[in-house]
Amino acid sequence: MSSVFGRTPSGATRRRVIGFSLAAGGAAALAACSDDGGTEIDVEAQSKGAMENFAADMQFTATEPFTLSVLWTDWPDLPITDQWQFFKEVEKRTNVKMEVTNIPFSDATEKRSLLISAGDAPTVIPLVYTGDESSFVSSGAILPMSDYVEHMPNFQKYVEEWDLGDMVNNLKQADGKYYMLPGLQEVSVPVFTVVIRKDVFEEVGAGVPQTWDEMRAALVKIKEKYPDSKPLADGFEGASMLNYASHAWGARAGWGFGNGMVDDGSGKLEYTAVTEGYKQMVEFFRGLVEDGLLDTDSMTAANDGSGGGSVTEKVAGNLVFAASGSPGTAIEFQQALNETVGEGNHEVVVIPPPGGPAGQIVEPRNFWNGFMLNAEIADSENFVAILQFLDWLYYNQEARELIRWGVLDETYTKDASGKITLKPEFSLNAYNINPGAPTDIQRDLGWSNAVFADSSESRALKESYNSPTFVEYVEAVLSSRTPRDPNPPAPLDEAELESSSLMATPLKDTVDTNTLKFILGERDIAEWDDYVGELEAQGLQQYVDLINTARERFEEENS
Amino acid sequence: MVTDVRTTDLAMVKPRGTARTRGERVFGAVNATLLVLLCVGMLYPFITVLAQSFSSSGAIKAGQVNFLPVGFNLDTYAAVMSNDMFWRNYGNTVLYTVVGTAIAMTLTTTYAFVLSKPHLKGRKVLIGIAVFTMFFNGGLVPNYVLISALEMKNTMWAIVLPGAISVFNLLVMKAFFENLPKELEEAAQIDGLGWYGIFGRIVLPLSKAVIATMVLFYSVAFWNDWFAAFLYLDKSELFPITLFLRNLIAGASTTASEGAAAAGSTTAQVSANIQAVTMILTVIPILTIYPFVQRYFVSGVMLGSVKG
Repeated sequence: MSSVFGRTPSGATRRRVIGFSLAAGGAAALAACSDDGGTEIDVEAQSKGAMENFAADMQFTATEPFTLSVLWTDWPDLPITDQWQFFKEVEKRTNVKMEVTNIPFSDATEKRSLLISAGDAPTVIPLVYTGDESSFVSSGAILPMSDYVEHMPNFQKYVEEWDLGDMVNNLKQADGKYYMLPGLQEVSVPVFTVVIRKDVFEEVGAGVPQTWDEMRAALVKIKEKYPDSKPLADGFEGASMLNYASHAWGARAGWGFGNGMVDDGSGKLEYTAVTEGYKQMVEFFRGLVEDGLLDTDSMTAANDGSGGGSVTEKVAGNLVFAASGSPGTAIEFQQALNETVGEGNHEVVVIPPPGGPAGQIVEPRNFWNGFMLNAEIADSENFVAILQFLDWLYYNQEARELIRWGVLDETYTKDASGKITLKPEFSLNAYNINPGAPTDIQRDLGWSNAVFADSSESRALKESYNSPTFVEYVEAVLSSRTPRDPNPPAPLDEAELESSSLMATPLKDTVDTNTLKFILGERDIAEWDDYVGELEAQGLQQYVDLINTARERFEEENS
Repeated sequence: MVTDVRTTDLAMVKPRGTARTRGERVFGAVNATLLVLLCVGMLYPFITVLAQSFSSSGAIKAGQVNFLPVGFNLDTYAAVMSNDMFWRNYGNTVLYTVVGTAIAMTLTTTYAFVLSKPHLKGRKVLIGIAVFTMFFNGGLVPNYVLISALEMKNTMWAIVLPGAISVFNLLVMKAFFENLPKELEEAAQIDGLGWYGIFGRIVLPLSKAVIATMVLFYSVAFWNDWFAAFLYLDKSELFPITLFLRNLIAGASTTASEGAAAAGSTTAQVSANIQAVTMILTVIPILTIYPFVQRYFVSGVMLGSVKG
C-alpha cells in the first residue's frame, strides 16, 4: 500500500533507491556549483567573536556570543532534549549556542547526503568517519580543513604529541588537501576483535590464543568437548573477522578492504587479493570450515547489524564460543548467557586480534569519527571563532573530559592521581557505572552523547569509563601488538576517482564472492590461479597502475 | 485481500444445500489447508512480536520466545508509554493522518468527479497530467529543493500535501463515478441542484463504499509513511511515530563499514522488547479500524472493476 504515494516501485528497495538517487542527483546538482578554490580568509573581517591569543589547552570563550548549527544524529535510545545540561554548560563556557538539526540514526547517512547535496546542511557535520568525506569533495560543498588548521592549535598539538602526522597525510585528497578532521585517539586499539568465552577456552586447557594457529588448536579442543558446536562465528557476514584477521597475513579484507591496495614492501602498492598472504589467509579459514570449526551460517546470513542476532543466540546455546564483536557485543553475549548458563558461570572477554605470519600486527586505529564543515561557512564573519570553538570542543582535553563526564565537582570528582569518580547520585548506565542512581548523566544531562563524546580521547580518558576487562584489553593490545604502518598515500583526482571506481567495484565484487566461495569450499583453492586470471581479465593491472601513478605523483609533489 | 474476494465469490456461486461432489470436497480441503497455512505464516511474525512485547529482553536474546511470552511483564509497556517523545510523535501521526486524509479525500473526490464527466472540455489533458505523475517524477533531490523553496520544510504540509492525490485512487474513483446512473444526476438537475449540490447531496452519499475504501487507503498510507517525514523534517518533536519506530528498529541495519557497525552496536542496546512494544502500539489503531472498514473495502474495490 505504500505505493499509493507512487515514489518507488517497491518499499523493500527504498534504501537502495535513495542511495542511487542521492548519488546521481547529488552529483548532477552539485556539478554546477563547484568552488573556485578561493581559500583565503580575511582574518580581520572574519574574526568576530574569536579570541586573539587562542592557544592549545586554553579555554575557548567567544568574545561575542554566536549561534552555530550542528547536524545531530538522534540515537533512538538517547532522545535529545534541549534541556540537556550539555548544551547549557557548553554555551556558558564558550558563548556558543548550538542549534541542532535532528536526523534519525536509522537513515543518518542518507539524510546527511541529501542535506549536503541540496545545499541545506548545517555548518558542523559531526560523526564523519575517514573516507566518508571523499564523495563530497569534488562538489565543493565541504570545506578543505587543511587550509585552516593553523587556527586550530589543539589539533596540531595532539597530532604531533601522539605522532599522527603520517596518518593525517593519508587523509589528503588528490588536491593535497584534507576535508575532514578526525577524532584523535591516543592509543590505537581495534574496536572490533574476537570475543571469547574465556572460561570454556580455559576449561579445555587452551588459554587465550595469541595467534591464529593457537586459535585453531583451541577451537579443535572445544569442538572435541562440544561436538555439536561450530565454535567460531562472525555476525557481520564475515566482513569483521576478515578485517581484523587480514593484518596477520599482511593483507586487507572485509571492512578494511578499502581500495584493496597494500604496501608491497618496497614502498609501492599491490592488489592485496592476489598476494600470497591473502591466499594463505583464505586457506586458513577454509581449513576451519572443513573441520567444522567456523559457523558458516553466520558468515552468509544477513545480519541485523548488531553482530548479535543469531550469533548471540548460538553463544547463549553453547554452540559458539568465539565471535567477532566490540566490547558492546561482549556485554550482549553476557546478558544472553546470564539467561541460559546462569550468572557467574561464564566469563566473556575481548582479546587482542590473534597474530599470524606477518607478525603480531593490528590495524592502526588512531582515528575515530570527526567532523566536516559546510563550505558556506568560509564566508562567515565568525569563521575564525567557529574554528577555534571546534578545536576546543574536539581536541581540548578539558573539553573532552567535560563532554564525557560533565561538570567537575558537580557530576564527578577527580583525585590527585587523576582518577575520575562519578558522584554517587549520578549514573552512566551505558557503561554500567553507578547503576540505579537517580540521574543518568547521558540520558538526562546529555554528557557522554554519541555525537561528540567518542571522537577524541586520551588513553586516560578512555580508561576512565570503560570496564576493567576493557582496560586489560587495551593493555594487552599495546604490550603485545604493533599497529600496522599506514599505506603510502595515493589520492586520486576527480577523473581518476571516476575511472578507479568503475574498475574497483567489479574487482572487489569478484574478490568478495570468490573469497567466500573459497572459504566455504564452493570453489577449490586449486583454482586460485584461475581466479587471479579472472581479476586480470577485469583490468586489474590497469587499476594497480592507476593507483601507483597517483602514489608517485603525490610523492613527488609532497617530497 | 484478493484471496478473500475469491473465496466469497465462490461461496456465492454455489447455492447452499447442494450436494458436493468428491472433487469439490477435495478442492475444499486443499484450499482450506493452504489458506490456513498462509494465515499461520502471516500471523506468526505478528504473534512473535506480540509475545516479545510481554517478555524479558534476556529471554528474547537467548531465542526462547516464539508463541508465548517468557518472563511475562508489563514493565516495557509502562516504560515506552512513559516516554514523552513517543506520545508526541504518536500525536503527530494522528494529526498528519487525519489532516492528510481529509485533504486527500477532498482533492481526490472532486478531481475524480470532474474527470468522470465525458462532456468536460480538456478532460483528456487533465487525466494526462495526473497519469503523467504516475510514471515520471522529478527525483529525490529536486523534490527536496522544491519543498525547501516552498518553505514547507519542518511543517506538516511537507507531509500531507505532496501525497495528496494518488493517481491510482483517483482512477478507481473516476471509474466508480462513471458507473453511477446518469439519470440520477439529470433528475437532480431538473429538481434544481447545481453541480456542487449534485456532488455533495447525490454522488457522495451514493459512494460510501468507495469513499470508505479510499479513506482506508489514504489513512493507512499516511499512517505508515516515514519517508516524507524523514526527508522534510529536521526536528524530532515533529516526527511521526513511524520515524520514531524506524529509528528504533532499523537503526542498526547498516554494517557496510566498521564505523557504522560500531555505531550500531550502541543501538543494539534498544532491547528487542522495547522494539516489540513500540511496534504493537503503532499498529493497534490500524488493526482496530480494519475489521470495520473491511466490508466496504471489498465491495469498494470491486465496484467499477467490471465495467472498464
